Amino acid sequence: MMSSPAIETTKPARGRTFGRVLEDHLPYLIIAPAILILLLVGLFPLVYSLIVSFQHITMTENDTSFAGLMNYAELFKDTRLWAALGHTAIITVIALPLELLIGFLMAQLFIDRMPGRQLFVALLVLPTVISPIVAGATWRLMFDVRFGPVGQILSFLAGEPVRILWTVNPAYVYPAIIICEVWQWSPFMFLLLLAALSNVDQSQLEAAELDGASYLRVLRAIILPAIAPVVAVACLIRGLDLVRIFDIIWALTEGGPGSMTETISLYTYIQGFSQFETSYTAAIAFLVIALLTVITTLVLKRMELAR
Amino acid sequence: MADVRLSGVHKYYGNVHAVRGVDLVINDGEFAVLVGPSGCGKSTLLRTIAGLEDPDQGTIAIGGAVVNDLRPRERNIAMVFQNYALYPYLTVKENIAFGLRARKTPEIELRKRVNEAAEMLGIGGLLERYPRQLSGGQRQRVAIGRAIVRKAELFLFDEPLSNLDAQLRDEMRGEIKRLHHEITTTMIYVTHDQVEAMTLADRIVLLRDGKIEQQGAPLELFERPRTGFVAGFLGSPSINLIPAKLASTDNGISAVFENGGTLALPASRVSSLKGMEGRPILLGIRPQHFSRATGGALREGVMSYPATAELIQPTGTRTLTTIKIGGVDAIAELQAHDVESHGETIELAVDLNRAVLIDPASGEVIS
Repeated sequence: MMSSPAIETTKPARGRTFGRVLEDHLPYLIIAPAILILLLVGLFPLVYSLIVSFQHITMTENDTSFAGLMNYAELFKDTRLWAALGHTAIITVIALPLELLIGFLMAQLFIDRMPGRQLFVALLVLPTVISPIVAGATWRLMFDVRFGPVGQILSFLAGEPVRILWTVNPAYVYPAIIICEVWQWSPFMFLLLLAALSNVDQSQLEAAELDGASYLRVLRAIILPAIAPVVAVACLIRGLDLVRIFDIIWALTEGGPGSMTETISLYTYIQGFSQFETSYTAAIAFLVIALLTVITTLVLKRMELAR
Repeated sequence: MADVRLSGVHKYYGNVHAVRGVDLVINDGEFAVLVGPSGCGKSTLLRTIAGLEDPDQGTIAIGGAVVNDLRPRERNIAMVFQNYALYPYLTVKENIAFGLRARKTPEIELRKRVNEAAEMLGIGGLLERYPRQLSGGQRQRVAIGRAIVRKAELFLFDEPLSNLDAQLRDEMRGEIKRLHHEITTTMIYVTHDQVEAMTLADRIVLLRDGKIEQQGAPLELFERPRTGFVAGFLGSPSINLIPAKLASTDNGISAVFENGGTLALPASRVSSLKGMEGRPILLGIRPQHFSRATGGALREGVMSYPATAELIQPTGTRTLTTIKIGGVDAIAELQAHDVESHGETIELAVDLNRAVLIDPASGEVIS
């Protein structure tokens, strides 16, 4: 009450000066260019491809008339598309748990102090640092049937020449892709889980040791609940990456043999940039966006509930 | 139930020699308090007994058996941690039952024991809650419940009250003492708080720089400290240490202060101090051994000394009065109305019968 007259004196009865207006809106003025650029590069392509998905543009046709839901109806009849989604699901469902498990075991191994720990951690994280296309190319050489070390090591172990066409033989293409994927991204899980594990309350673990609890019981009652939020975020990040997997497969098999390892990203790329079905590709893109949005929303909801 | 014997225990952390040769016997059923300033090695010693740290040298025996090579879980020890270390994703009931489940206790027995422990600690109504829903004091009770339900041979407490506020700390201290009367298990309790040590312990083990400075019953340490460090560590406010020199006078020996003031030492001390005239000492007088002179005849060994009250801090029951004695600040704990205002000059009666004389060079008490 005492200070209200003072406030009134700073606000003249009528109108505000230009300086005052500028002062109020200055923050918005300052961030406006950045927001505009973001809208231009982020929102505009999205909206534009949504428009394109309702048209009928291909390499040879420039038909920008409204085509209705034609492209979307086409999606449901496209067996190669659903097969590609299936391939994507197979790789995700196998690689994600493997990366999580291997990352967790590595983190458990490195949680204790030991000489050279930092060096080992740095070396182990290297695969994650390199670009996926390089990882794929590297593993293509590793798997090479003539001089690849994988074949040589297997031959040595088996005691006879082992010739596996890793990137061609239908029985081995998925293992090859998953080995490469897991090799590259387990260290990512390892790093996140190492950080999460080192935040587990030490005295809780000590109390459990004095209580005589088995490792499994400690894992279930103390460690897993404590690292669950990190695990959930890590799985979400890796899961989204796996659904969009492209480079490794492009380098290893190019989706082959046939379209056996064609994932949704590969199929979208082929439709868009070798078949030039521009409008249809836009529709596929929106299908993927819708799928990922649903998955992400569900996962985030689960996480909220778990809290 | 078990006794604990440590012999020649050493522990290093890299270059830090945290525990430097501790020999200690704690009897069956005893409540021993390891106390000392931070960094004295008391927690390390406790963790070594628990098996959470391995000693670099020496042996640890519990109940007559050397346990150096046993894992913590095999030592039948229960421990209460400073931050309680409750399992956050289990209910109170499951927290308390955790050790029993790990040891495959039958469900009926388990439920009985959990309920007993919960009743004993007054947390029967909280069994279905989670630790985050409890107050600090309740968490501490759950942590204690988790320990007692196991019926371990030995209880370890690692500064269990230091995270509680003052009032709750006093309350829990009483409860821990009562608990020891009820279950009579050997207990080892670590604290840096000398009040906790004095009030709880059957035996205080005072550690300094990784070694035992002195051990014994609380009053024994308080009244007959062996070093100036012990005298200074126990007691609140802490003992006044006043630099002085011993000098012989007509009828005995006096402490002569640097500013020329003197206090005559009791006749009973004269024989033991013969031949030490001229030696520097620290005269240790506890704040409680000052009182306001009433003007009547003083008892043997009680000397009067005029002083000015420079600062008074009334606590209600007593008034802590800062005075200058021998040129240095000292605290006298007087009766509530003995001194009323700053700057007042009063005649103090100083009881020197229980004064402690310390050799400033060695830090040891001159008997």
